[in-house]
Amino acid sequence: MRWHKRLLAAGAVAVVALTSACGGGKVRGAEDSPQPGTSQSAADATFTYVPNLDVVTDWDPASSYSNEIIAMENVYESLTRYNPQTKKAEPRLATSWTSSPDGKEWTFTLRPGVQFHTGKPVDAAAVKASIERTIKVGQGAAYIWGAVDTIEAKDATTVVFKLKYPTALDLVASAGYASYIYDTTAATGDLGKWFNEGHDAGSGPYTIDSWQKGQETELTLKKFDGYWGGWSGQHYSKIAFRVTPELTTAWQLLQRGEVSFVQRLNSQLFQQASGTANVQTSQTPSFQNLLALFNTESGPLKDVRLRQAVQKAIDYDGLVAALKGAGEQASGLVPDGLLGFTAGQAPKQDLPGAEALLKEAGYGPGGKPLDLTLTYAQGDSDQEVLVTLLTSALDKLNVKLTAKPLQWTTQWDQGKSKDTSKRQDIFVMYWYPDYADAYSWFVNVFRSADPISFNLSYMKNDGIDKEIDKLPELTAIDKAGAEQAYADLQTKIIGEQAAVAVPYVQNYQRAYAKSVQGYADNPAYPNVVFVYDLKPGA
Amino acid sequence: MLRYLTRRLGQAVLVVAGVVILTFVIMRLVPGDPAVAYAGPRASPAELAAARARFGLDDSLPVQLWNYVRDLLGGDWGVSLHTRQPVRDDLFQAFPASLELVGAALVVAIVVGIPLGVAAARYKGKFPDLSIRVSSMLAVSVPVFWLALALQTLFASGLGWFPVAGEYDANLDNTSPLHVYTNITAVDALFTGNWPILGSTLAHLVLPALVIAAYPSGVIAQMTRAALIEESSRDHARLERALGFGETSVLTRFALRPALNPVLSLIALVFAYSIVNGFLVEAVFNWPGLGRYAADSIRSLDTPSIAGVTLLVAILYVVANLAVDLVQGVIDPRVRSR
Repeated sequence: MRWHKRLLAAGAVAVVALTSACGGGKVRGAEDSPQPGTSQSAADATFTYVPNLDVVTDWDPASSYSNEIIAMENVYESLTRYNPQTKKAEPRLATSWTSSPDGKEWTFTLRPGVQFHTGKPVDAAAVKASIERTIKVGQGAAYIWGAVDTIEAKDATTVVFKLKYPTALDLVASAGYASYIYDTTAATGDLGKWFNEGHDAGSGPYTIDSWQKGQETELTLKKFDGYWGGWSGQHYSKIAFRVTPELTTAWQLLQRGEVSFVQRLNSQLFQQASGTANVQTSQTPSFQNLLALFNTESGPLKDVRLRQAVQKAIDYDGLVAALKGAGEQASGLVPDGLLGFTAGQAPKQDLPGAEALLKEAGYGPGGKPLDLTLTYAQGDSDQEVLVTLLTSALDKLNVKLTAKPLQWTTQWDQGKSKDTSKRQDIFVMYWYPDYADAYSWFVNVFRSADPISFNLSYMKNDGIDKEIDKLPELTAIDKAGAEQAYADLQTKIIGEQAAVAVPYVQNYQRAYAKSVQGYADNPAYPNVVFVYDLKPGA
Repeated sequence: MLRYLTRRLGQAVLVVAGVVILTFVIMRLVPGDPAVAYAGPRASPAELAAARARFGLDDSLPVQLWNYVRDLLGGDWGVSLHTRQPVRDDLFQAFPASLELVGAALVVAIVVGIPLGVAAARYKGKFPDLSIRVSSMLAVSVPVFWLALALQTLFASGLGWFPVAGEYDANLDNTSPLHVYTNITAVDALFTGNWPILGSTLAHLVLPALVIAAYPSGVIAQMTRAALIEESSRDHARLERALGFGETSVLTRFALRPALNPVLSLIALVFAYSIVNGFLVEAVFNWPGLGRYAADSIRSLDTPSIAGVTLLVAILYVVANLAVDLVQGVIDPRVRSR
């Protein structure tokens, strides 16, 4: 054999050896798939969901706290599910619940005859075991159970929670993360490891069919025959998650009818989708709003008049118009659909008012120049629109705004810096609740904190802290009182303290095939499609 | 030859070591805390501390570098912050798909580029030469991202001749499950006789492979032309012409073979380049290769994964260069003595 042939042969052997080490003789696809050449039943309707990011980071229902919610909510169930129309939790694994007058004891009655995918019953002991494991693992959103003191399985269908302090446990139990009920006895060894090998132990309508990390179709779920809701009527029997980072590609796949649902399009493509025959679109306000947090502790914005001036300089209407449907006007700190939302509080740009406040503080046109720094998320085009409009508006008021786009970790590190001179004057970030309770904004973002975590307005106000601390109890036992308390707090934080401006609430803009029937966004579960509730059409 | 081989291998090891150190330093210079990237944006101080302890982020930089190098030598490339899987496993998963795509592109580039180069040399200074040179300049200079979107919109979305995206029709996983040995789907499908998946993969390969092939096709055509023109002006070519061989015969029977030596060297280098050049194409066509993995890693500031991709690409470049040097050393003994 000549030298170059030997070299070629050696190269081919090396490539095959290297790639063989990568594969190892596994079967790609579902474990119980039919043999080559056989075909699926025509009735096996598949719902193909197109996310922009990888689906699964963590399969453990105790610690899962990422994009996998879009799959987990179809595999696992919690005791309740939040309805943003009624602003109440509704039955899911629990059919009813009561709380003691002081809101410190909650009794849930479970749906009878429900099975886990492992074949074991979903009873009170299983509920107790799964929530106790989630609390013990202590990762992700496990903190939501912080109020729980003890859990008692009174009988097979009755679970009693005793709390350390009053909390609306029906809302906690409806959370998108850390509230899943699962079979803690599913594995003999390390349960977390077992989950992360791609197994599930939920009770939801679908169970894991195949999971291929890194592949385009990363995950498929198949129907769980023993689902308590039954399979009579029309339902999708499979769900495929086809990861498509490029929005243009996602749109073309939808246009071609290759996929059922696209999680996100840009505003231009969304408008195109709205006028396309075989596609439907929906636009729904989310529970995620943008916050511009003003530095109340140090720097020029320590002066409340300057904070109020910046609030007034924001062109709220212009911003929403420029977002072309990707955002809508906020009314207060709490988005619509949550207890605590206050209608009629949408702010308006008021440049003369801003100028008057600046002049009062010695700044503004003809006064001292004012330099402000702002940090925001790198690559977020919606935030860039805010920065452009605000820079332009402030420039007219003799205020120079220096805006830095940063990666979150950098932005956050700078915001938390112990050296106050390194902190920014305005910190722009999104906030969303881990479960459908407006308390999340107040306790995390505006309650005094040392060290600083998310209180990036650095507000320290004992009176406001005390009012925030009363919110959980009021939400649990006195909804009307809670509504009033939320309204009062928003008046103080946005109006009197001017610690924050809320430029807009993000909208979910979905595009999906005309054949998909019955879709409605539920902002309490970001990006989740409850596929069992849909009907596959022609 | 052995001394030459040892010297070149030593140089290659030094280059890889330099890349490892540089990669590590850049990883640590990038602003932001990897612990936050791992534990999530709402991690508690305790969770952040646990993440810092897990990745040894509290150690001094030299200690971290030593641990990194030690782990690399032991085959541990770290744990991805966004997939939570070992980086080496992730790369083993993604790299074969890129290899499949770039391999197909290079086949196209060779099949197209060399004949075009021959034709341009044959008709030097005439219309075919001019048009081939202009086309190859265009192929080299057109941005791959734009070309990918244009071909996808026209031939997939518009005319429906090819699939829009993906490696193969995922429904085939249900009807014709693939036994995976090499992780190169087309190869596995061919060896296991899985014709539905093979057909689907080839159909999905066409557009992205054409886009990636654009640059190497242009370069190969130009290099072949230049090498052939040089070779055909040598004494032996004059003799062949004097013996009555036509211009086409002189080029294809006598000049092409020696002219292909620099072209083969070029192909080895273009292969490594095409792996990186294909990242954007993979993003557009949803190809589950290194490009998508790198994009996800950058988006989530996943420094161990970014370092892993960088190191793998550096090794590919070094190996490609080494292969070229060795081949040239075998062909031309004068190279060994330089």
